[in-house]
Amino acid sequence: MEPIIELRDVSTVYEGEKRPAIRDVNLAFEGGEFAYVIGPNAAGKTTLLETINGLLPIFKGHISVLNLDVQKYGREVRCQIGYVPQDFMVDPGEPYAALDVVLMGRYGKIGVIGMPSKEDKEKAIEAMRLLEIEDLANKPIGKLSGGQQQKVMIARAIAKEPKILLLDEPFSNLDPESRGKISKLIAQISSEHNLTTIIVTHDLRQMAESCSRAIVMNSGRIIADCEPREALALIEKWNFSDFWRHNG
Amino acid sequence: MIYLEYAIFQRALLGCVFIGLLGGLIGVFVVKMRLSTIGYSMSHSAFAGAALGVALSVDPLLTAIVFSAVTAVFIGPAADKARLPIDTITSIAFSLNMALAFIFLTFSPQIGLSSEVASVLWGSIVSITNRDLVYLIALCSITLALIYLFWKELFTIMFDRKMAEADGVNTKIFVYFMIFLAGITVALSLKLVGGLLVYALLFNPASSALQYLHDMRKIIFLSPIIGAASCIAGFFTSLIFDIPVGSCIALISTLIFAVSVILSPKRRRRWRNEG
Repeated sequence: MEPIIELRDVSTVYEGEKRPAIRDVNLAFEGGEFAYVIGPNAAGKTTLLETINGLLPIFKGHISVLNLDVQKYGREVRCQIGYVPQDFMVDPGEPYAALDVVLMGRYGKIGVIGMPSKEDKEKAIEAMRLLEIEDLANKPIGKLSGGQQQKVMIARAIAKEPKILLLDEPFSNLDPESRGKISKLIAQISSEHNLTTIIVTHDLRQMAESCSRAIVMNSGRIIADCEPREALALIEKWNFSDFWRHNG
Repeated sequence: MIYLEYAIFQRALLGCVFIGLLGGLIGVFVVKMRLSTIGYSMSHSAFAGAALGVALSVDPLLTAIVFSAVTAVFIGPAADKARLPIDTITSIAFSLNMALAFIFLTFSPQIGLSSEVASVLWGSIVSITNRDLVYLIALCSITLALIYLFWKELFTIMFDRKMAEADGVNTKIFVYFMIFLAGITVALSLKLVGGLLVYALLFNPASSALQYLHDMRKIIFLSPIIGAASCIAGFFTSLIFDIPVGSCIALISTLIFAVSVILSPKRRRRWRNEG
């Protein structure tokens, strides 16, 4: 089977930095795969996601997503990727309703000039319903709690009906109960729609419960690509101080 | 009012209305897209253009528009190419244009700052011609049509440019387009408020409207209304007290902003929550 996402010897460096944020990364994901990316702070996890969706340019290697060269066809690729950024918080006065923000997820697919149709709005409301935030649809997003805002961003990614989901710490502002629920919901949507899903997390327990593949990163490199239990054993062995700080 | 019987003041009043509407409208995008330095950078490039026009004995408004348009077209791509914030490039363009303006002024020392160039710097509402009004009405119409056509893209970029890009929207082209519209608006507004105060028209009405409402679609309507009201009130204040119209407009729009901050329902709620 052809991989949906393929990175060959990829290195990305931020403007003004000498050291690459990720280096010599070789990875491939098949359709419907569900993987977690873990690692200490500054390991390159967020950079990896932003490199896959073409938000960051690479200086070495090749990335193809959905059989398209991301460096050339970034916009087309991004129309098929549901992305949730890390720690997305908006100003309390932001003049946007939660539904507006969820609907924005579909704008790239609608194309220039076209207006959102009734179907687009229904998809957005459906995504909010799945995340149990339908009643917040008309509330200004700035007035929602951090957890609610995070659910809005997840709904935005789902409303897009993507082929790939890239989620960067999507549960960080959620309470433990919501965390379990939404993690299960994402796993269910991914399996129903055969989505390739990559989640960056610090929550090792969540990872062990819900995924089939764990990618461990440190200092911009992939240091393990294995089963979650194996990854947990490695983390314990290497004793990354950062993990202990986040997981008690 | 006796003044309004004269065509010159009728034109001036109409100019106030359209410049206020336009500044208020474009200002929402300038504020929300964080293009804060655009206003003063553009006003000074227009000033440099006007100075060149005077030195070459060409219509200063025309050269002001050309200079603003060239600066506007240059700023966005230059910032992206150099991977620098737009604010950095606009600040550099600001100093470059000021330097050019003073060099151009030395080419026409007999005219100096007391002439047409000064009117570009301080504003001279009564010099608004029918042709200026036609330009203003055309720009208002084009701006409204473009905003209507690309509302979806502008709406999401104003919320968060990076997320819009992640959703597959070509944000670059729309940001460049807004910088360009802001540049032309500034150039056409010079006769009313002058280069030194023109950015008050871009920032104050939009910042005031943002204090009241939670819906961007309503803010897009309210901000031009505040802009037009500031200009009309400034115009009459200027006539009554015989002081420069640009200063009156800037003072009144600043006063409206201060009152908006005090009355803002958004802030009151936040203060109550914090208290």
